[in-house]
Amino acid sequence: MARRPVSVLLGAGVAGHFAADALRQAGFDGQVLLIGAEPVRPYDRPSLSKGFLQGQKEADALFFRPEAFYRERDIELLLGRRAVALDVAARRVALDSGESVRYDKLLIATGAGPIRPRLPGFDLSGVHVLRSLADATALREDLAAAERVVIVGAGFIGCEVAASARALGRAVTLVDLLTAPMGHVLGDELAAVYAELHRAHGVDLRMGRRVVELRGQGRVEEAVLDDGTRLVCDVVVVGVGVRPEAGLAADAGLAVDRGILVDEHGATSALDVYAAGDVAYWWHPTLGRRLMVEHFDHAGMQGAAVGRAMAGQPESYAPVPSFWTDQYDTTLQYYGYPIGWDQVVLRGEPSAFAVSAFYLVGGRVVAAAMLNRPKEHRAARRLVAARAAVEPAVLADPDTDLRALAKQLAGE
Amino acid sequence: MPGSSDDYVRVMPVDEIAEAEIYEFEVDGEPRILTRVGDEIFACDGICTHEYAELAEGEIEDHVVYCPLHGSGFDLRTGAVTSLPAVTPLPIYDVKIEGGQVFVSRRPRGESGA
Repeated sequence: MARRPVSVLLGAGVAGHFAADALRQAGFDGQVLLIGAEPVRPYDRPSLSKGFLQGQKEADALFFRPEAFYRERDIELLLGRRAVALDVAARRVALDSGESVRYDKLLIATGAGPIRPRLPGFDLSGVHVLRSLADATALREDLAAAERVVIVGAGFIGCEVAASARALGRAVTLVDLLTAPMGHVLGDELAAVYAELHRAHGVDLRMGRRVVELRGQGRVEEAVLDDGTRLVCDVVVVGVGVRPEAGLAADAGLAVDRGILVDEHGATSALDVYAAGDVAYWWHPTLGRRLMVEHFDHAGMQGAAVGRAMAGQPESYAPVPSFWTDQYDTTLQYYGYPIGWDQVVLRGEPSAFAVSAFYLVGGRVVAAAMLNRPKEHRAARRLVAARAAVEPAVLADPDTDLRALAKQLAGE
Repeated sequence: MPGSSDDYVRVMPVDEIAEAEIYEFEVDGEPRILTRVGDEIFACDGICTHEYAELAEGEIEDHVVYCPLHGSGFDLRTGAVTSLPAVTPLPIYDVKIEGGQVFVSRRPRGESGA
């Protein structure tokens, strides 16, 4: 009897989960091993900074699927194990448990890890990053007893934690060199709306400032800014970005540049080795360039696409990337390519926190962000998918029927 | 008991349903939605399976209902997830038309009701 082929999935996050599910849905009947560094089965990471931190959701509610889901599909979970070496010639992965696993096809979906600044005092107790369920559990416990929270970094994690900490009644100071929260992704125009939103909810915004040191006796007691300001605090949350966990691939000789380089099917430079999700720097075939996207939807969709490719059903992966962020009673939905812009057009009512932003390059819509404008999601996504050329004044005009415009410019 | 009149509830006149518009109704206190795509009428749960959001505030495109909160998409014919972040399918209800009225099954498709 022939040996069963083995598909090994490194990383039991979003991409790994969807790859495993897709392998089975595509009819792969060999062995599927889903190996994760964290001790728990795949769960919903986006909830950590919001519902979980605010105590509205418990850990049990975060899992994508019950254990039975994996059992019924014969997906073997190897949890609490980290891959320490990859030998592509021998087709083997060594784990920190001492085990060695042979693969016929391998997916590297190890994600990204939070950047920890090498600055004085950032190793004190009470200083947190937020990536894993364990991180979120520790932060939630600390927040329960905290009075003053300083958040280093006004990106998505920093802003969502700020909103959650305010919901818990904590005093919050948000510090970033940016001129406004999330401005590097959303642009100054929409970021200014978020600055107002956070101020309206009582956050002390210190934009254009940097935390240079944390001080305390064993536990953090104050944060020092670059202008000498000292902020008393008992919890610090650091959200200054992530770095792809690509070391294993680089050490094994795979082509890596920021992330692991993959083609439109998720294939790396090594035979039968794939990568997906936060760790992959992937080729978008219709855009004609590489993208790094560190968001849930992409990780799930690319994981599923690569799972099908591993099962012998490759397809060109060419999505419109998307993400969302929920802060206070607002929700923002974003569709688009993270390739910058030369013009931003606002549509709606910024002062009412109901506004859409369209990002243009050379007069074409390459991204759109809708803050509390749910009826514009699909039309905006169509304009982005078609990279439609639209007059800024038409986009901004409240009388423009966006759906009709999308139909006209982007087709059915 | 399959086929008995209690298994279906009357919702609204069929000629009042506009293409791709979403209509909310309740069955036993649970929110449901109804919509029309071409000549076909579909009914499904009114709350997204991802996080709490009313699908009545969302959008219909082709045969998919999109959640207003995070853009999850569900195929109206099967309930299958077509767009993340939702992972769990959306319960779908059978629809029948009698005397110009739309009736929707009390229980989701795939549940025997027994």
